[in-house]
Amino acid sequence: MPELEDDLTALAMQLEWPPTPRLRAFPIYVEVSPEAVRRAFPRWALAAAAALLIVAGLLAYTPSRDAIALWINLHTNIQRLQHPPTPSPLPSGQLGENLNLGTRVTLEEARGSTGWKITVPSSLGQPDAVYVKSPPAGPSKGEVSLVYGQRSNIPVSGQTGVAVLVTEARGKVDEIYFHKMLGSDSTVEQVSVGGHPGYWISGHPHDFAFADANGNFYSDTLRLATNTLIYDNNGTIVRIEGDLTKAQALQIAASMS
Amino acid sequence: MLIARAVRGDSAAYEEIVQRYQQVAFRTAYVITGSAPDAEDAAQEGFVKAYRALDRFRLDADLRPWLLRIVANEARNRVRSSGRRHQLELRLAEGFRPGDAAPSPEAVAVAGDERRRLLTMVNALSEEDRLVIASRYFLELNGEETAAALGIPEGTVKSRLSRALARLRARVEETANA
Repeated sequence: MPELEDDLTALAMQLEWPPTPRLRAFPIYVEVSPEAVRRAFPRWALAAAAALLIVAGLLAYTPSRDAIALWINLHTNIQRLQHPPTPSPLPSGQLGENLNLGTRVTLEEARGSTGWKITVPSSLGQPDAVYVKSPPAGPSKGEVSLVYGQRSNIPVSGQTGVAVLVTEARGKVDEIYFHKMLGSDSTVEQVSVGGHPGYWISGHPHDFAFADANGNFYSDTLRLATNTLIYDNNGTIVRIEGDLTKAQALQIAASMS
Repeated sequence: MLIARAVRGDSAAYEEIVQRYQQVAFRTAYVITGSAPDAEDAAQEGFVKAYRALDRFRLDADLRPWLLRIVANEARNRVRSSGRRHQLELRLAEGFRPGDAAPSPEAVAVAGDERRRLLTMVNALSEEDRLVIASRYFLELNGEETAAALGIPEGTVKSRLSRALARLRARVEETANA
């Protein structure tokens, strides 16, 4: 080896590097009372509070499936503040308005505002209410929820008055995170919906995380906490929630157009 | 194999991978950003992104270059998005004893001065030259890893390194003749 290269190799052994920090393998979930957060903090204050929590050493919380309120993406920013649904005991007002689905719009308005194709299940008819959640509250390309009240052969949730909730957002399912966020009271089965990969989750799933169109992780609440069909329709993640059998859910999905 | 376990969803295996590679990842990011806090952020974000991308990792590939590519990309993105680039200033550790065992104090001082001068010259190289030299000699990355860290084809590493060494050698000789 020429002398210069020998000298560089020798030099390497004498270098003073900054101390290597202890890095974490996973993002941190921090549990915060959603009510307290909603009452007290605007988004910027939340970011500061989250940073303080990190500094204080509140690291490596075990994700709690039904109480996750914040998703902090290490050292960068808060991806999203979740407001888990607080359904009223007796549904009142507009259908789905207690589910924190965003702004109520017409289907045409939703189609006009998102810029990507929204599909609607013909087997359920026209939705009774449509909501759009735009970023930053929603994922990067927005999220559309179609709400269905009474439908034949489908029980209506006594708390929400909703029979079926169809939610659509541009993104990609992350299988590892997706499975990690499901608790022992849920089972997952891989299914195919018109050739598209999907999952039938039976039980009581509460949370669902996916990578949105910009690659950021978006953690969302499954509002009805009941059987859910999730599938990837050419880059749009479709979720069908309701007290449905697997066959009913697949039939609804097959009618999406 | 650790990576195979991690790909199957074994989080303990991935934690072990992070522990094993965090030093080289952090130092690679440090060489690129020139800032320890930025390097920490980049390395941390890189490991999280790698975790999310595990399903795309080919088990017949080498893990270290794959991780370094993700971390280095993150480091470059941070430099780009912040619009600031810190001047990398590597230093010699205090109290080091260069050369053979039990040299005279004068020999230690002379060797120390020579290496400090060499390090100063490396620090003063263009970014492209400094990065390739630091990757190969200071981080001791192999060709594939250097290519991953620099975001260039592996075939380009050799020629870039050769040119960088030639420029450094010219400066060393220039100083020696001065």
